[in-house]
Amino acid sequence: MGPNQFFNSDNKDRDTIMLAALTGNVGKIGGNIGSYAGNYRTALFNGCPQYINENPFDIELDPTKPARPKAYWTAESAHYYNHEDHPLKVGNTILTGKTHMPCPTKSLWFANANSILGNVKWHYNQVFNALPKIEMIAVNEWWWSTSCEWADVVFGVDSWAELKHPDMTASVTNPFLIVFPRTPIERIFNTIGDIEVYSLVASKLAELTGDQRFNDYWKFVNENNTDVYLQRILDNSTNTKGYNFSELHAKALEGIPALMNSRTTPKNVGYDQLTDSTPWYTKSGRLEFYREEDEFIDAGENLPVHREPVDSTFLEPNIIIAPPHEALRPKGPEDYGAKRDDLSCETRCGRNVVYTWEEARKTAHPLVKDGFKFIFHTPKYRHGSHTTPIDTDMVAILFGPFGDIYRHDKRSPFVTEGYVDINPTDAKELGINDGDYVWIDPDPEDRPFRGWQNDKRNYEVARMMCRARYYPGTPRGVTRMWFNMYAATPGSQQGAKEREDGLAKNPRTNYQAMFRSGSHQSATRGWLKPTWMTDSLVRKGMFGQGIGKGFAPDIHCPTGAPREAFVKISKAEPGGIDGKGLWRPVDLGIRPRNESDAMKRYLAGEFMKRK
Amino acid sequence: MARVNNWQLGREMSYWYPEARPQKQFAAVFDTNKCIACQTCTLACKTTWTSGKGQEYMLWNNVETKPYGFYPLAWDLNLLEMLGGQEWDETGERPVYQGSTIFESAPAGERVLGWRPEDQDYSYPNVGEDDCAGQVDGGASLAASHDMAWFYYLARICNHCTYPACLASCPRGSIYKRPEDGIVLVDQGRCRGYQECVRGCPYKKVFYNAMTGTSEKCIACFPKMETGIQPQCFVNCIGKIRMAGYLNTPENAREDNPLDYLVHIKKVALPLFPQFGLEPNVYYIPPVHVPTSFTSQMFGPGVGKAIETYRSAATDSDLAGLLGLFGSSERVMTRWRRIGETVTGLDDDGNVLVNVPLKEPVHIRPAYDKLYQVTRSNCP
Repeated sequence: MGPNQFFNSDNKDRDTIMLAALTGNVGKIGGNIGSYAGNYRTALFNGCPQYINENPFDIELDPTKPARPKAYWTAESAHYYNHEDHPLKVGNTILTGKTHMPCPTKSLWFANANSILGNVKWHYNQVFNALPKIEMIAVNEWWWSTSCEWADVVFGVDSWAELKHPDMTASVTNPFLIVFPRTPIERIFNTIGDIEVYSLVASKLAELTGDQRFNDYWKFVNENNTDVYLQRILDNSTNTKGYNFSELHAKALEGIPALMNSRTTPKNVGYDQLTDSTPWYTKSGRLEFYREEDEFIDAGENLPVHREPVDSTFLEPNIIIAPPHEALRPKGPEDYGAKRDDLSCETRCGRNVVYTWEEARKTAHPLVKDGFKFIFHTPKYRHGSHTTPIDTDMVAILFGPFGDIYRHDKRSPFVTEGYVDINPTDAKELGINDGDYVWIDPDPEDRPFRGWQNDKRNYEVARMMCRARYYPGTPRGVTRMWFNMYAATPGSQQGAKEREDGLAKNPRTNYQAMFRSGSHQSATRGWLKPTWMTDSLVRKGMFGQGIGKGFAPDIHCPTGAPREAFVKISKAEPGGIDGKGLWRPVDLGIRPRNESDAMKRYLAGEFMKRK
Repeated sequence: MARVNNWQLGREMSYWYPEARPQKQFAAVFDTNKCIACQTCTLACKTTWTSGKGQEYMLWNNVETKPYGFYPLAWDLNLLEMLGGQEWDETGERPVYQGSTIFESAPAGERVLGWRPEDQDYSYPNVGEDDCAGQVDGGASLAASHDMAWFYYLARICNHCTYPACLASCPRGSIYKRPEDGIVLVDQGRCRGYQECVRGCPYKKVFYNAMTGTSEKCIACFPKMETGIQPQCFVNCIGKIRMAGYLNTPENAREDNPLDYLVHIKKVALPLFPQFGLEPNVYYIPPVHVPTSFTSQMFGPGVGKAIETYRSAATDSDLAGLLGLFGSSERVMTRWRRIGETVTGLDDDGNVLVNVPLKEPVHIRPAYDKLYQVTRSNCP
């Protein structure tokens, strides 16, 4: 989804929830504001520390007893890693709070999370500028994703359909406690479970150090009895206490679901506060729409205001649009030691300039003078969750309008390919036909990657090329490309050039890209918003009912937002097979703005007469 | 040519063979208003039946966006153009089709009016996805009438027609309609791959397999249906838009048969291009937000009333209850009933297959669970 992944989403959410509150729509079935992000499901199992925080120096080996958690780690927002490990500095001022301050990334090890690397925003900056400074990258994957292309070590692990160790999860949007039982299905490839990767590494460490605790920490994995860890989580989670894992597992084998025992089913956030007068997770315990903290006053966001997007706008980016108000007195660029007209990408993140709408409408994005005219959104698509399910050919042919299982056009990187939805009137003005290949170029200051001007070889990989589709459902100036696509890599580009079949498939790894060059992440960037990096905001803790202040992962920290940019689009190649003529559906007269006479009659329903 | 009765046209028509209705007829209702085009049905079918060599391009089940989506390209547009404008007479008690069917307008020496797609027409199976009629150049806002720009999703399988054009077209008699359930099948042993069925089927739901040299089509998952389980594309539908069962002719309609109730009694579900004359057996609840000029061309003259009836489900507990049975069980529910707040799906012998509440209940748990000594919270 994406409504929570705009640069201004906290302002937007404060606005909409205030409206819901004023109209009595908070905490009622059918009310509330829907805004989904998958990360938040972690909190649903607030007994998770039983597993993730078991004290490594005091390990409980009795399967019937609970662990004694003690955290020896601290979290950090991954979005600093996506920002070359820099905090936000505007002029001479650091706008990243002390509780948020990142440290340099030394190594990465992640499981089934292509968006950490392969599909990360500003991907080509990440791989060409940030990765060389990282000492080790290990990836657990089901198949060869873009992340695997850039990893030092890849562990082939079981897919969900092949799990030999049971697991469980839940969602913020449905009421179920979802149990993955041990499957009787044979493994397709020579893989092991995710959890076994870690236990085997630990076992090697035990062997090298002679310290048995490395083995003890994974005792119930080694004994093929991970049910113990799952039961400990159930026993210590507010909404699952009372469940017996082996009973849930037996039911799951028969396809019988279990419910999360939240206060209400369906879960209706705010019910507890409304009905029982339990406090909200704020400083006052009430819903707070005014933010009194200094950071918010400095940012001009103590009142919920409108901020233009930080890049994807026709207007001057990231300006606050509001009428004059005595409470609005932000620190301007000069207060931070920056120039008022400095609109460079970094400075822009912390630029607090207030315009009235009359003033704002006369401004322009600084790139407009260079022929940039399109807002470029990259939301997620219903045929994919991140990049996970898209790369089997059967699914891929349905991914967008360019799927062709026999690849009549050998330029096509795969049996489907990346494309941009563009308003037909806009496209016609640029001489772009429906189905043509286009170049999409973002702000040259630092995209597709910092320093591209002097790196021809990598720029050839990183520059985004895709099909254009005439899409009548988008307004002028607004384009869209789906998020869930596999980026070009040096290997995939080599495949597209050298393979006889023309597939953008790495001859060495068989990695399959959906672009001949670049990706949707050629245009995006890591942006840091000051009000997401404050030290004084009181907020809920990740697990349980405790509240705290400042940074908390996935609660108060920068996000991967926004998934959008301001771009220039130009024609690259004609859409007809092998670059000759028009894309066939246009030729047939069945495309928007290129309808044949018969198609026009069809749209008007003229093939039926009534008497 | 024989004269046969086609109740969807309100009249008799010409067909290559005499009328021979099966003992019972496989049929289905799809609610287009609930489809999100996730294509789970398409994949459920594809992974089950068409993952072999020569089948790569085949989608026995597909979902296309109307009006700009087609699989194969321009399939219905081409035939409508060949058939020309066709007229319904709605002056009498029941609408009567006054135009020609594809059997009645067959060129001399041919059994049906048809066309055969080229190989490339099967490319781009999701062309037109989410493309709307009309433009939003100046932006848009949501309005209840939603009449500015529209599209909807049309999920399609073989219609297992009462008068199949594929069957009529086959010069070898390789296609047959099972007398026990009306499912239309291609005899793979007899078929020689002439592809007259591909040309003849107006829905383009017969596919030629160049590896086997025979034609293939949706089999309504008959091995499942025979054991009382709905087909793959039905049970995997996450939007729960589909219900499979058996349909009687209008004069034999039963109130307790879910499909009869929707098709014959409530008339809320309509056939796909009835004017082609095949008496297709997949029925669609038409989309409520689309101009009826377009949907009437596709589903016949009953569209306006069907939408009116569908909208009345808010106050019609029987209709709402039956729609709530969709997707509630893997089993084929040949009977149904509603008693108070409970809607029940049953088999032919009256065995209860599933009970569903008329309205989704809301459970409120105590804030503190004394048994387990734990609070139950919506924000754990």
